[in-house]
Amino acid sequence: MPSSKRTEALYALLFISPFLLHLLIFFIFAFVRTIWFSFTDKTTLRDSYNFVGLQNFINLFGEERFLLALQHSIGFMLVVTTIQTFLALATAAVLNQRLHGITFFRTVYYIPSVLSSAAVTVIAIWFFQKTGFLNTFIGWVSAHSPVILTLVGIFILAQAVQVGLERMRGLPVAPTDPALATISLVVAIALTWLLGAMGLVVPREARPPEFTWLTNPDSFLGLPIPLWSIVMLNIFTTIPTLMLIFLAGLQDIPKSLYEAAAIDGASPLQQFFWVTVPMLRPVTFLVVTLSLIGTLQMFDQVALMGDSAPLNSIIVMAYYVYNSVFSGEGHIGMASAAALVLAVLTFVVVFLQRTFGISEKAH
Amino acid sequence: MATQAMKPRRKLDERYLARQRWARAGWIYGAMLALGVFFIGPFYVAFLGSLKDNPLEWPFRTTFAQVLPKNWVAAWKLGQQGAGNPWLGGFAPGANIPFEVSYFVPEGTEPTPPTVTVPERRAGAGLGAIFDEVQASRYAQVSPVEEVSRRPARIGDEAGQVVTYRFTISYPRSDPALDLPTAARLPLDVEAPRGQIFLTATLDPNRLERRGRVASWDSAAPGFFGYTFKNYVRVFREARDPNTGSSFFLRWTVNSFFVSLMAVLINLIFASLAGYALARMYLPGKGLLFALIILLMAVPQQAMFISNYLVLRDLSLLGSLWGMIVWIGIDMAKVFLMKQFFESIPREIEEAALIDGANPIATFFRIILPMATPALGALTIMTFQGIWNEFFKAAVVLSGQQGSYTLPLGLSFFRSAYGAAGDWGLMLASAFLSMIPIVILFVVFQRYFVEGVSTSALKG
Repeated sequence: MPSSKRTEALYALLFISPFLLHLLIFFIFAFVRTIWFSFTDKTTLRDSYNFVGLQNFINLFGEERFLLALQHSIGFMLVVTTIQTFLALATAAVLNQRLHGITFFRTVYYIPSVLSSAAVTVIAIWFFQKTGFLNTFIGWVSAHSPVILTLVGIFILAQAVQVGLERMRGLPVAPTDPALATISLVVAIALTWLLGAMGLVVPREARPPEFTWLTNPDSFLGLPIPLWSIVMLNIFTTIPTLMLIFLAGLQDIPKSLYEAAAIDGASPLQQFFWVTVPMLRPVTFLVVTLSLIGTLQMFDQVALMGDSAPLNSIIVMAYYVYNSVFSGEGHIGMASAAALVLAVLTFVVVFLQRTFGISEKAH
Repeated sequence: MATQAMKPRRKLDERYLARQRWARAGWIYGAMLALGVFFIGPFYVAFLGSLKDNPLEWPFRTTFAQVLPKNWVAAWKLGQQGAGNPWLGGFAPGANIPFEVSYFVPEGTEPTPPTVTVPERRAGAGLGAIFDEVQASRYAQVSPVEEVSRRPARIGDEAGQVVTYRFTISYPRSDPALDLPTAARLPLDVEAPRGQIFLTATLDPNRLERRGRVASWDSAAPGFFGYTFKNYVRVFREARDPNTGSSFFLRWTVNSFFVSLMAVLINLIFASLAGYALARMYLPGKGLLFALIILLMAVPQQAMFISNYLVLRDLSLLGSLWGMIVWIGIDMAKVFLMKQFFESIPREIEEAALIDGANPIATFFRIILPMATPALGALTIMTFQGIWNEFFKAAVVLSGQQGSYTLPLGLSFFRSAYGAAGDWGLMLASAFLSMIPIVILFVVFQRYFVEGVSTSALKG
C-alpha cells in the first residue's frame, strides 16, 4: 500500500473514530449485551446472575401482560399503518396542485409532526377526557345531525337535478362537476337555513357526554378503547410526515404521463389508479416500511399516558420492555428477551412486507 | 389536473371551462382549509382550554371571561392598583382597590348588600400546596359595602332591579418603616343574600359557587397576564422545587436548551467529520461498516437501552444531563446527511487543497466545512428539534431527578402530579409553553423542516 494511501486511511480513521466509538458502545456492544442478558436472570438490583437458557422466552410467552403487549403491538401496527398510509396519500394528492399559497398549507399541516410527543400527548389526554373536546365535538355533530343530513341530502339532490338537466341539454358533465357542485352547495345552505329559520329542521339538545375513552374497559375489533385513542393520536401526528414524503414522490412523477393518459381519455380517478399509484410504488414502499417500524416500536405516547389509562389496556411491546426494567425488581433478563422478540418481530414484518406487500420496484 | 377538462368528447365552450376551473380551485382551497382545521383545530381548542378556569367545563364555550377585552382592561387596571404591576398584579402595601358588584334583585325582595371576604387560599393541588406563600387575607382591609345605584330591569319574565354595590380593598401601610410583604394574589369571595342573582362585577369572577350565590376570584388584582394567562403564570409560580424554591419549569427549559445545544454541537463536529470520511476518504471496510449501520438502524432502541442504562450507571452518569448527552452522541442519520452532502460537492476543490500540501484536518476545517453551511444548517435544526422533543432517553437516564428533567419529561411529571387532581389548566399551559421554542424555530426555518423530511427520506 502506498504511504499516501495509508496516511489517508489513518486520517479517515481519526475522523470517524468518535462516531465509531459511540456506535461500538451504544449500539453494537449494547445489542450484543442484550442478547446475552436475555439468556440470564439478571436484575437491576443484583450484580450476580446465572445463565438460564431459554427460560426467559418460555416465561414471556406464558405471561399474560406480555401476550397482551404483543397482541396490542401487532394490532396497532396493522391498523395505524393501513389508515395513515391511505390518509397521507389522500392528503398529498389534494396538496399536489399548482395553486397559490400551497406552500403555506403544506407548512401548516406539518405542525403536528414537529411538536414534541410529550406536549401533544398531554393535549390529547385532555381531548379524550369525558368532557374533553372530542366528546364535545361528537356531541355537537350528533345534536346537529338533522341539520347536517338535511344539508347533505339537499346538496346531493340539487347536484343530481343539475347534472341531469345538463345531460339532457347534451353536455357530458361528470356527476362531480365542480361548478355545478358550487351551485348545489349554495342552494343546500340557503334551503337548510330557511328550513332552520322556519323551525322545521332544528338541532337536538346536546346531552352531557357519557362515553369514556381512556378508562373504558371495552374493546373494539380486538383492541381496547384506550388503545384506539392512541391509534387516533398516532395517526394524527404521523400523517404530516408521511404526507410530505408522498408529496415529494408525487412531484417527481413526470407531467407528460398524465397528459398522455388524459389524451387516452382517462378520468382523474383512472389517472390516479393507473398513473399515480404505480409510479409511487417506491415511495409507498418507504412509507409503509417506516410506518411499520415506527408503530411497532411506539413508546412515547403509551408512557406519557401513564396512569390516565389502565396499563393493561394500552401496553405495547416497547413499553413492556421499559416497564420490566424500571418497575419492581427490574428484571433485565426478561426485558432483554422481550426486546429481542420485538427486534425479531420488526425484521420479520419488514421482510414480509418486502416480499409479499408493496415492493420497492416500480412497474 | 385542469388538463383532463380540455379533452371532452364534445367541444364545450370556453366560458364553461373557465367557470369549471375556478370552481375546482374553490373546492380544492375548501378542502385544504378543512384539512388545516383538522391539523390545527385541536391545538386551537386546547389553547382556549388552557386559558379557562376549568378546561373540562361542559358545555364547551368559545367565549369566556378570559377572552373578553373588557376583563383585560379591568385586570390591567386592578393589577396597577394592587401592586403597581399591570402585567402580573399582586397586593402590595399602600394598595387601594375599588371594586363594584351588581346584582339582580327580583321584585318584592329588599336589596341587601353582599358579604365581602378576603379568604386565605393556598395555591391549588400538586407542588404549589407545599409552599407557605404570603396570604393577602392577613393584611387586607375591606371597607363597608355601599350601594351605588339602582335601576329597574327584567330578566326573562321576572321584573326587578339591578343594584350595584361598591367597596374598597386596601393594604394599609401602618408604619412606613415596617417591611410589609407583598402578596402575589388577592383572593376574594363575595356572597350575595338569598334571592339576589349575580350579574356583573368590575372583573368577571373565576368561579360562581353555591348555586351562583358566591362569586369567587383567584385574585382581585391579577394584572393582564395574571388573569388572561392565569394557568401560564401558575406554571412558573406553583411548580417549584420543594428544596430550593426555584421554578421547575424554568430549570427544565434551561436543561432542554443545554442538552439540545450540546447535541447540536457534537453532531456538527463529529457527524460532519464522519460523513466526510465516509464520503471522500480512503478507508478499508467502508462497505461493511455501511451495511452494519443500515442493519443497526432497524434494531429497536428497546433492544439497546438496557445495556446503555447500565453503562451510564457504571459511569455514574444517571440522573445527569451529561449522561443523556453522551448517550445521544452522534446520530447515524446525521452522519448519512453529511455524507450525502459531501458526495455532492465537486472533488476538484479538495484535491487542489491537498496538492497545496495542507493536511486533511486543515483542509476539512478551512475549506470543506465552510462549504457545507447549508447542510450544517439543516443538521442543526433537525438535531435541535429531535433532541428538544426526545422523551425516551430522558425517561431512562433522568428518571427521579426532577431538578435535571428536560421539558418532555417534566410534562410527564406534571401529568402525574396534577393529573389526579384534574388540574388541566396548568398541564395544558405547560404543554403550550414547552412548544414555544420549536414553534419559533419552525416559523423561521420552515423550509428546512419541510424539505428535510422529503429529501432525506427519499434519498436515504
